[in-house]
Amino acid sequence: MENRTVSKYTTSFGLSLALTSLLNALLVVVKEKSPAVQAGMKSLTGHHWVTHASIVLVFFVAFGFLFAWVKGGHGLSLPVNRLIKTILAGVVVAGGIIVAFYLIAD
Amino acid sequence: MTEILLMTHVLFGVACVLASVWVFVDALNASEANRNRIQWVSRAAAVFMWLSFVVGGYWYVVFYPVDKGIILKGPWPFAHAYFMETKEHLVIMLLLLATYLPIAASNRLVANPDARRLVLWVAALIPLLGLMIEGHGAVIAMGVKVALLAKHLQP
Repeated sequence: MENRTVSKYTTSFGLSLALTSLLNALLVVVKEKSPAVQAGMKSLTGHHWVTHASIVLVFFVAFGFLFAWVKGGHGLSLPVNRLIKTILAGVVVAGGIIVAFYLIAD
Repeated sequence: MTEILLMTHVLFGVACVLASVWVFVDALNASEANRNRIQWVSRAAAVFMWLSFVVGGYWYVVFYPVDKGIILKGPWPFAHAYFMETKEHLVIMLLLLATYLPIAASNRLVANPDARRLVLWVAALIPLLGLMIEGHGAVIAMGVKVALLAKHLQP
């Protein structure tokens, strides 16, 4: 028999993936445009990229568990087709922002 | 030492791409027979990506500043200004995708066409992004090479 639902962690970490991909792109723009932010990130771990990657990974895990924990532990629900579109949109838009930023703006 | 680290980084990156292609093909033909294999290979893809990321990250922080100085004085400064800057941030998204792959593959793909489609998309994005990043790495290496050649050939 066909089943069309996925586990709550599949949905929550999928949404987290899309969201943190955008956060990754946003951090690129902010730290490259603000020397103070970049210096602050460097002072935290010794290298701005290490801080950058750590922030994104911590948020990926945190959002993943948070989205699974809401609604009384049932987690956020979303049709799988929308989850796929959300992940694709997050990855493509975030990738586009990073590429365009270094190609044009920086 | 630095070359071994760099080759290890690339090796694990390629292994992640190959494992993801494997998951893609197996997910296309998902059955009870390959269910465990899909889950194990998707976990392997994530482990390979993490190893590549940690080794590459260590090399980038510790050894890359020398290469960066060489590239920026050479004829291909864009090898750093565009290619490395883009690569070091796109790779974080690749790490997220590879980490997510085993989570998506933990669903029952045989009985669930939507879950199968999700795994197919994630498993397809990894080699696409991974090959793009491998290409960026090649341009960065070429940036060092042309800078050293230009310096060597100076009269």
